[in-house]
Amino acid sequence: MANNLKDNEFDVIIVGGGITGAGTARDCSLRGLKVLLVERNDIADGATGRNHGLLHSGARYAVKDSESATECIKENMILRQIARNCVDDTQGLFITLPEDADTGYGLDYQKKFIDACIAAGINAKAIDPKDAIRMEPSVNPTLIGAVQVPDGSVDPFRLCAANVLDAKLHGTKVLTYTELTSFIKEGDTVKGVRVHNKKTGEDAEYYAPVTVNAAGIWGQQVASMAGAFVGMYPAKGALLVFGHRVNNVVINRCRKSADGDILVPGDTVTVIGTTSTKIPFEECDDMRVTPEEVELLLREGCALCPSLANTRILRAYAGVRPLVAADNDPTGRSISRGIVCLDHETRDGIKGFVTITGGKLMTYRLMAEWATDAVCKKLGVTVGCVTATTPLPGSEPKDQYNEVKVPSYKGANLGFKASIGRQGSRAAAIDFTKAEDRELVCECENVTLGEIKYAVKELGVTSLLDLRRRTRVGMGTCQGTFCIYKAAAALAAALGKPEMEQKLAEDYLNERWKGMSAVGWGDTLREMEFMQKVYKAGKPSSFKK
Amino acid sequence: MRYDVVIIGGGLAGKTAATALQAKGLKCAVVADGLSLRDVDLKEFVAAGGSLFSGDRVVKANVEDGRVLSLVTERLEDELLVADNYILATGKYFSRGIVADMNSVYEPVFGLDVEADEDRSGWFDRDFAADQKFMSFGVRNYGQGRVALEGVVLTNLFAAGEVLAGITGIEADAKEIIVKSALDAVANIN
Repeated sequence: MANNLKDNEFDVIIVGGGITGAGTARDCSLRGLKVLLVERNDIADGATGRNHGLLHSGARYAVKDSESATECIKENMILRQIARNCVDDTQGLFITLPEDADTGYGLDYQKKFIDACIAAGINAKAIDPKDAIRMEPSVNPTLIGAVQVPDGSVDPFRLCAANVLDAKLHGTKVLTYTELTSFIKEGDTVKGVRVHNKKTGEDAEYYAPVTVNAAGIWGQQVASMAGAFVGMYPAKGALLVFGHRVNNVVINRCRKSADGDILVPGDTVTVIGTTSTKIPFEECDDMRVTPEEVELLLREGCALCPSLANTRILRAYAGVRPLVAADNDPTGRSISRGIVCLDHETRDGIKGFVTITGGKLMTYRLMAEWATDAVCKKLGVTVGCVTATTPLPGSEPKDQYNEVKVPSYKGANLGFKASIGRQGSRAAAIDFTKAEDRELVCECENVTLGEIKYAVKELGVTSLLDLRRRTRVGMGTCQGTFCIYKAAAALAAALGKPEMEQKLAEDYLNERWKGMSAVGWGDTLREMEFMQKVYKAGKPSSFKK
Repeated sequence: MRYDVVIIGGGLAGKTAATALQAKGLKCAVVADGLSLRDVDLKEFVAAGGSLFSGDRVVKANVEDGRVLSLVTERLEDELLVADNYILATGKYFSRGIVADMNSVYEPVFGLDVEADEDRSGWFDRDFAADQKFMSFGVRNYGQGRVALEGVVLTNLFAAGEVLAGITGIEADAKEIIVKSALDAVANIN
C-alpha cells in the first residue's frame, strides 16, 4: 500500500508463524500490503505442525455444529484447488462397529449423520461394509456400517511453508526465531513491536499502523502484552505415528467425537489421534505424551484398524488446540469452537491491534481472510481477497507428477518424484545438474541433496528440525538413525557453517528421542537401542556424554 | 542332536564362547538368527568342525530341576538340541535377547530373572547423548555369567555379552567387556 515506508516500517505486522499467521501474511501481501511476519521459533512449530494432517470433510462436525461443517467442506474444496502439492485425496470412511449400537451410535445414528452431512453440503454416502473393506482392506472387518466422505490428508508443514513462500514472493519480510518482547505503544494505540532475535541476539523495533496477533495458544500472552485479555484454554491432543502407511483411506468412527477415533495416512506413515486434556500454559512449550494417552490411542486405534496392534509405533507427539473462551460468556466456561476475530479497538479500546484465533487448520484460509479484512478496514484498503482462487506456489499444474518437469535433469529417480510430491511445481527450481545433488540423503523419505539445498536457499531453513518441516528429512521409519549424520553435514555445508554440524545433529536426535521415549517398548525400543549404538558404539563418539 | 555345548547367539559373545569351547576340545553348536549388530564371522568355527544353525532361533527350552535339558528351534522342529551345557548370548532388544513390551521386560527363551526398572519414567534421559538407563537392563548375573529362574541358579546355562544386565555394548571398551564376559561364562564349563 504505502510506498514511502522506511525499512523498519510496514503496513501490518503479524505475530505468529503458524498456519494462521502465514495465511494472513499471504493474504495481506496479495492485497498489496507491506507485511512483516515475526515468529519466535520456526514456522509451523506449534499446533500447525502437531496435528493429524487431516483434510477434514467436515463430516465430524456435521451433527453437532453444522456451521463448522459447512466451513470445513468449503475450505476442503478450496484447498484441493489451491494447494495440490500439500493435499492427498485419500477419501474417508466413517465406520460403525457392532459395539456402537450399545452406546446409541448404531445404524440409526448413521442415518442422522448422513442427513446432517448432506445438509452441510458434504457428499456423504453409505456404502456396503464389504465395499468398505475392498476400498480400505485394513479397516476393522467387523464393521456393520460405512459412510464415504471427501476426507483427505494435508501436509500442514508444506501448507504453511507454501503460504510463507508466497507471502515472501509478494514482499513479506519473514523473521523466524524472533521473539516479541514488547509492543511499542502510544497511549492506547499499538504502533509497533520490539523483537529479539534468538539466534543472533539482536534487538530491533518495527512499526506498523496495525499488528495482528496470530500466536495460537500463545495469543493470550501476546494480547496481554498489548493490554488486552483473550481467555484461552490450552487443550493438549496426543497422537501416535505408525511405522508405515497402514491405511490409504482416512478411517473415522461414526459416533459422537471421542478420543483416538481418526486414523490418517500421511505420506509414508499413518497417524492415530487424538486425545483432549486441559493443561496449564506452562506445559505448552514442552509437551510429553503420557503412557495413559498412548494406551488409549492404541486401544481406540485398534478398533478402527486391528493390525495397528502389531505395527511398530514410530513416535508420539502432542499439540495444543487454541480454544478460546466465548466473548459473551463472563464465566469463560463456554468455549467458542469457531473462528474468533477480535478488533481490540472496539472491544477493548486498544487501537491498531487485531487478534485472530480459534478455528482450525482446515479453516486457516478463511481465518486469514477475516483477519486481513479487519486489517484492510483499519487501513482503508478496499482490495478484495483472492486466496480462495489463487494457487499457492507449487500447486500448479493439475497433474503434478506427470506435468511438472525438472529441467536440470532428464532422467528419473525416486528423489525427483518425492520432490515434486512435496514441492509441487517449485521442484523445477531444484538443481539436479550435478550427480551429488541427485544422491539421496534421507532414504526413508527420498530427500535428495538437491532438495536440501533448495530448501536452504528458498524456504528459510536454519536447522535440521526446520529442514524436516520443509522436506520430511528424518521423519520416516529410521527416525534419522541412518540419515541425520549425512543430513547434518549437508545442511551445515549448505548454510556455509560447517562448524554447526555436530549441534545440528544433536538437536535433531534429541527431538526424535523425545517422541520415541513416549513409546519406548517393543520394536520402538529395538530401534532406540539401534540408534544409541549407531551413534555411540565403538571408538570415542561425539554423541556420548 | 547332541553336543557338549550349545551356544545361542552368533554375535561377538557367542563367537568368542564357541571358539574358546572348541579350543578346549568340546563339540559345539551355534544357533544364530543373524540379528547381530557387529560384523562377526563364524567361518573358522565351522571349518574347525563346529555346527552352525544359521538363520534359526531357539523358541523354547526344556528345563527341569535347575537344569536345561534341551532346546527347541524354529527350523529343526521336532529335532531337539541337547547338550551338557548351554551359553546364552542373544544380545539385547535389537536382537530380541531381551524383550520389552508395554508391561514387562523379559528374557524370551528361558524366562530368566532380569534386572529392569519397573518404573519406566527413569528409562530414558531426555538428552540422547547422556547415559540411557534402559541400555543396562538385562539378565541378572549371579557371577561368572550364572543365571537364575525365579531365584534358582541354573547349573548348566551361562549368559554372556549384552544379554546380561550392566553390559550396554556402547562402553568405550565394549568389545573387551563382551569378550571377557564370554570367557567368564566359558570358565564354568570343563
